[in-house]
Amino acid sequence: MSVKHYSSMEYDNFEDLLFGHSKYPVKTGLDLEIGAGYTTAEINYAPRPGAAENKATLVNEYERITRDIMERMVQVGFPSVVLETEHVQQMTHNPEWGADIATAQKAIMEEYHDEYGIKCALRHTVGDIRGNRESIDLRGDAYSRILESFEQVASSGADMLSIESLGGKEVFDHSILRNDMRGVIFSVGILGAFDVEYIWKDICNIAKKNKVVPAGDTACAQANTAMFVAGGLLDFKLSHSAASVVRAISASRSLAAYEAGAVGPGKDCGYENNIIKAITGYPISQEGKGSTCAHSDLMGNMAMQCCDLWSNESVEYRGDFGGTTVQCWGETLSYDCSMMNTALEAGVGKTLRDVLMVSDRYRDPQAFILSYDNAYRIGEVITAHPDDLYLRAKEAGMKACELIESGSEGFLELSKFEKATIKKAQNDLKSLDENMESFICNCLHTYSSEVDTFNPSNYGL
Amino acid sequence: MIDINPKNILMRYNILVESDMTPEEVAEQLYPTDPHIRQVAKAVFEGDEDEVVVALQNTIDSGVDPLSLINDALMAGMEVVSTLYDYGLLYLPDVIISAQAMIEGIEYCKEQSKQIHESKGKIISYVVEGDIHDIGKKIVTVLLRANGYEVIDLGKDVPVEEVVAAAKRENPIMLSGTALMTTTMHAFKDVNSRLLASDINVPVVCGGGAVTQDFVSDYDLGVYCEEAADVPKIADSILHGLDIRKLRDAFHKH
Repeated sequence: MSVKHYSSMEYDNFEDLLFGHSKYPVKTGLDLEIGAGYTTAEINYAPRPGAAENKATLVNEYERITRDIMERMVQVGFPSVVLETEHVQQMTHNPEWGADIATAQKAIMEEYHDEYGIKCALRHTVGDIRGNRESIDLRGDAYSRILESFEQVASSGADMLSIESLGGKEVFDHSILRNDMRGVIFSVGILGAFDVEYIWKDICNIAKKNKVVPAGDTACAQANTAMFVAGGLLDFKLSHSAASVVRAISASRSLAAYEAGAVGPGKDCGYENNIIKAITGYPISQEGKGSTCAHSDLMGNMAMQCCDLWSNESVEYRGDFGGTTVQCWGETLSYDCSMMNTALEAGVGKTLRDVLMVSDRYRDPQAFILSYDNAYRIGEVITAHPDDLYLRAKEAGMKACELIESGSEGFLELSKFEKATIKKAQNDLKSLDENMESFICNCLHTYSSEVDTFNPSNYGL
Repeated sequence: MIDINPKNILMRYNILVESDMTPEEVAEQLYPTDPHIRQVAKAVFEGDEDEVVVALQNTIDSGVDPLSLINDALMAGMEVVSTLYDYGLLYLPDVIISAQAMIEGIEYCKEQSKQIHESKGKIISYVVEGDIHDIGKKIVTVLLRANGYEVIDLGKDVPVEEVVAAAKRENPIMLSGTALMTTTMHAFKDVNSRLLASDINVPVVCGGGAVTQDFVSDYDLGVYCEEAADVPKIADSILHGLDIRKLRDAFHKH
């Protein structure tokens, strides 16, 4: 697959961004179309501990999960649903396990589709097993096994392929704990983007061969780590402003998957997807208030503003008062989708979008920069530097700083610490190298000595 | 696009409780009074590794025993950092940077002395088998070292066998394990069973991602820890004689 670098925005105006609508909808699965004028719940789950004891127990677990979800969807009358199976390690390590699970899940989904006409699709997110105990080996045997896993699930019933790739994580973890913005740009904007492009060229080829959808990557291992460690407003771990800057930079990383041929819907935990949608026009999945079973994110409503799929991130399969957890969360997500779809039918979609967005816009700098207007502005500076990974990452970070600073002159209230850290991030970014070549050269020198597990050859450096 | 004044839908509790004083102003009130010691403590607070060494050398040149500076100056500086972190005046990267400076300082003091420095106690730190997410373990390890403990860092994705072997070999005061996923955290229970079978009754402090207090309470040696910053406090409590039941009373929050 050839690589296309985005040099302009596919949307002309941020006002055109809206949930359930994408410029380039994606047809997939059993009569489902994503981003074609309606939203759909995407239910994500983890098997019970111990269920992965062997292939038979795991297949059985996913059969139960799938049947539970499909049954609840038709019981409550929802027209469409997406299931996302995020691989547990055993599934990716043993590609035939993933294949058997995809086959079993798809058979049940077809059964419900045939009997009730429910539109549905199955996403498989293969595990990134390239990290091991001693090191990260992005190009070795584990990589081959990942591709084999993609091949097998794609030929066995998965309709959409995704991964949360690890590239850059070793330098990122080191950097974010030291407020080191240079390391963040290097790890997310350069190393991460190199890895995403590399892996997605292969995934897109597999998807094309099997006539399934290459759906996209996320910066889960970087930006979500920063968001998760930063925590709530009363936590004193990481600056939320710094986490916002990481998120903006992460958009240039996740974009690399689309430049290599992915077409969406981008994965739910990619909060940077708002920026990606503005740039590419492809549909996205998002998580927010429906993912509180997995984590808190300070933008539970806002995350819904431009979603095409609406997800719960992940919930462990078990019993709850209202049924199994996948039934409960699936129903909650689907009611949210009913609300959005009703707003679209009634012609008040943009009003609802704005209510959702503004309700969280000033809650946190992370929500502020991902509000659709600001997300669009970050997309603009990324596309202004199509052929320079360094500049586009740096400019995305600088734009986030600028937006937060201007926001803090209005309703975006920041603590003294947040004000200080955004100023520091801004100064750090401004003082970075002029060009990518010298930046990479300096970073290789620094992080090769500071980070034990950093091996430049993983990135072709 | 609509816009609103958010004052009726959002409370900035974090800003409401902010201190009027800067962290530096509060720290100034907490540094030791001796000018040499104060210089070391301040360099630790500022996370300036070079300045830590300069200040230590100045103090050693004035006739002070290098090893005594570990507790009296370096740890005193770190104590200021920990206090301000507890007040919410500093954030985790500040602590990490100061801890790194302090650890460099400890190494320098050891080099300058012919005697052996005794740590407060030995602790084994690891990420459970099947899990390579180690940012939480890194944070815990730095905080423990910053508080004067010797940490045997086994790394990530550590087999149960290896954890148990290290516990037998090192005789730690406690173990600290992290896990991100529900699918991997059951390795804690295996460690618990194997330690008990070997008559090793040390607390296994567990936390991270999907780990819950209910889960950890379910095995004999488990002590749940929600915040990385609590781990050194748990270690200090063990030194003060708290057993697992009392540790749970003190640190289980739910």
